[in-house]
Amino acid sequence: MRRVRRLALQYGLVVLAALLLNFVLPRLAAGDPIDYLMPPESSPLVTPEQREAILASYDLDGSNTEQFVTYIKNLTSGDLGVSIRTGQPVRDVVVGRLGWSVLLVGVAVAASTVVGVLLGFAAGWRRGTKRDIVLLSGVLAVDALPAFFVGLMLLLTFSVKLDWFPVYGAVAAADISGWARVTDVARRLVLPASTLVLAGAGSIFVASRSALVSELGEDYVFMARAKGLNDRAVRRHAQRNALLPVSTAVLLGFSTLVGAATVVETVFSYPGLGSLAFDSVLARDYPVLQGVFLLLALIAIGANFLNDLLYPRLDPRVKDIG
Amino acid sequence: MARSTKVVASIGGVFIALVLLAAVFAPMLAEHPPTETTGLPFEEPSANHPLGTDDLGRDLWSQLLFGARVSLSVGLIAAVIATALGTGVALVAGYRGGTIDAVLMRIVDLVLSMPFLVLVLVLVTYFGRGLSVTIALIAGVLWARPARLLRGQVLKVKEFEHVVAAEAMGASLWRILGRHVLPRLTPLLSSQFVRAAAVAVIVQSGIAFLGLGDPGSVSWGATLFFANNSSVILTDAWKWWILPPGFALTILIVGFAFVGYAAEEWADPRLTGYGYRRGMRRTLPPHPAAPAGEGESLVVRDLSVHYETEPPVLAVTSVHLRTRKSRILGIVGESGSGKSTMAMAVAGLLGPPGRIVEGEVVLGDTDLRRLGRVGLTKLRGRRFAVVPQAAMSLLDPIVTIRRQVAESALMTHADGKKRASELLSRVGIPVDRHDAYPHELSGGMRQRVVIAMAIANQPELLIADEPTTGLDVVTQRELLDLLDRLRTELDMDILIISHDLRMVGGIADDLAIMYAGRIVEMGDAAEILRSPGHPYTELLLNAFPPVLGPRRPPVPIPGDPPDLSQVESGCRFAPRCPKMVDVCEETVPEQFPVACHLVVT
Repeated sequence: MRRVRRLALQYGLVVLAALLLNFVLPRLAAGDPIDYLMPPESSPLVTPEQREAILASYDLDGSNTEQFVTYIKNLTSGDLGVSIRTGQPVRDVVVGRLGWSVLLVGVAVAASTVVGVLLGFAAGWRRGTKRDIVLLSGVLAVDALPAFFVGLMLLLTFSVKLDWFPVYGAVAAADISGWARVTDVARRLVLPASTLVLAGAGSIFVASRSALVSELGEDYVFMARAKGLNDRAVRRHAQRNALLPVSTAVLLGFSTLVGAATVVETVFSYPGLGSLAFDSVLARDYPVLQGVFLLLALIAIGANFLNDLLYPRLDPRVKDIG
Repeated sequence: MARSTKVVASIGGVFIALVLLAAVFAPMLAEHPPTETTGLPFEEPSANHPLGTDDLGRDLWSQLLFGARVSLSVGLIAAVIATALGTGVALVAGYRGGTIDAVLMRIVDLVLSMPFLVLVLVLVTYFGRGLSVTIALIAGVLWARPARLLRGQVLKVKEFEHVVAAEAMGASLWRILGRHVLPRLTPLLSSQFVRAAAVAVIVQSGIAFLGLGDPGSVSWGATLFFANNSSVILTDAWKWWILPPGFALTILIVGFAFVGYAAEEWADPRLTGYGYRRGMRRTLPPHPAAPAGEGESLVVRDLSVHYETEPPVLAVTSVHLRTRKSRILGIVGESGSGKSTMAMAVAGLLGPPGRIVEGEVVLGDTDLRRLGRVGLTKLRGRRFAVVPQAAMSLLDPIVTIRRQVAESALMTHADGKKRASELLSRVGIPVDRHDAYPHELSGGMRQRVVIAMAIANQPELLIADEPTTGLDVVTQRELLDLLDRLRTELDMDILIISHDLRMVGGIADDLAIMYAGRIVEMGDAAEILRSPGHPYTELLLNAFPPVLGPRRPPVPIPGDPPDLSQVESGCRFAPRCPKMVDVCEETVPEQFPVACHLVVT
């Protein structure tokens, strides 16, 4: 329990730092804030009175400290501001996209973990053999393919040439429902998710392989052989231990995948947070951009927190260190 | 470094070199400038435009070559800045520790858990799209990973003796960091550098692909941005517009990834080492071995084991050995005498590069060497059991001891858990500790658990390799008493290996003295302790004075053991032997019962 409380405190500070960062970054940008709040063609036409009014409506009129206090106050009440582009509340815009991102990245994280760990363990167990070298160099090479290039190639092959999957979007139309909707969503998920798996499985593969190879050199593995266990049982001992470092790699891979999703969502016009961030950049819709950034930061921090919290379940030694 | 890694590293090196060549010779190889309209839009490949033109009529071949410059410089410059920054943070955090460390590491965690690309994307929006700004922003995000890993290494290096000594002598902080700490970080530093370069290239190309790159410079990501904008995948132009820059990026990133992997292996020697265990070939004697004689259980005949390194090490040479039913055979020798190698070879646990080159191993009427790997595994833990060296770390750290013992017991018992508890109680582990994890037990307790696993299936023979090393004298005594008791209760014979002649002599019925891969004397334990036959045994006895009786200082044996990579040309002990005569240097003495020319049999 003490461990949990200490972790919660530490992560509370991290969340605060993220909030501060999100508050400070836009204010570090050069130029008049008004340029960031209006379409570029209309901002030179603003009169000083209008300027005051606009700044006040975005809570940008007080001192930095006052602004920060207002910012935090608004956040706690769930107010993330208003989209410049559409006038909708940022919270609604962001939350509307969140589901698709969770689906896409969630499927990709799960699949790349399974693929990466299975292949990594297979290669690590047979370290130094031809199979290992082929797997290792193959995976490193695939991992090196830029996500957008993979996405374009998959799109080209499976949508344009073979016509197996739809080219565009996450769901055909809002009015289909029931089973038809599920299959449609699944079909449209295949290519973007595969792209992310190809982009993300590599690092998990390398981590799993390295972890297993290190564990295989440990004394307890020798003991497992000495006590007469067959290969399968020996391997099970080593793999369970090797999963500990892999769990950290999965976590780091998660943030990489969220980043890669930005590009992939753009290639496949997938309506997730990544493409929202990108659209907001192009439209200079800074309140939305800030909202996306904050949400992604909170998700990443939450994932870290969860990992730290659950780690003792994997490794009994951690409990005592606390 | 493993040979396979070298192959991977050189492929990576060649790939990076290719990109480097393209970057250097771009102006010579490309006829047209990359950013100017030199043809019609969407031209197909021709002699004038080898890869055609883009939507603005710019030469794609030229863009491909000049793009190498951007990617390469982004990768390298961002990596230099990021690793330098990371190293600085790591040194300060790791070396200073305390609050500074805690604060810095929390910042590192925050940066690490942020999605790179999104962070850079946001930053680019706020700070501008120029190439140098992009590089700075990428470096500003990438430093966290090297910082975290290097800090761990700094913490380790800080405790090294020479660093502590330099500190004690009052060396300045900069001197300590520069001269002692930094060199130790080099392997990890270089692997992190290459990794950072790869990520930097990926991130920069991603940003350019989104159309947020430096508008003034040519890059592969930007070329792909224009291709994507022109819906090139719907036409044939993808072959010359998308594939070349896509593969160019891949080649560079693969190059970095391959070199980076090799560097990682350099940084972590645990990743090298010998490969898969089935690696060594087996050479069998031409005829099946004769079964063990009356009253004997394990019989080893003419066993030789080599380590097939360069040069090969003749670790065990022509060893003859036997254990007798319900008796304890002690094998004694200095470290490096080949006693462990011999025992592991007998048990079929010798990993590469060790290899049995000759000899027979028989347990009762079973020829162990003819069983093969799988057959031997089926016997191990059942008919014979092994307690390996290094007892402190022999147990799986994340499995309770009862489950680990049950795993052994299940081989012959239906109710593994119940049997495991019986076994643990039998070796003296209190019931309330049966569900403990290994790290919750003392060294002596852990060794008892290992013994419990070994006796789980009532083996005929127990091979114990230095079972008490690293434990205090009282615990050593207790463990030996336990083994002695189990021997009687379970009616098994024990082969116990030790460097401590007196201690093993206390419980062994028979003794074999090993020196430089050979058994120099074998016989009744009490007899050998009373009147040693071989000069080496005599000196060994003087080196371990009796615990009881008049106090004598231990007398170390002068000289060093011989180099086992040399083929012997006489008695191996001759150079250190006080009784050496001419014949000792010319002829190798026979083993039994005393391998010495001076002892007449």
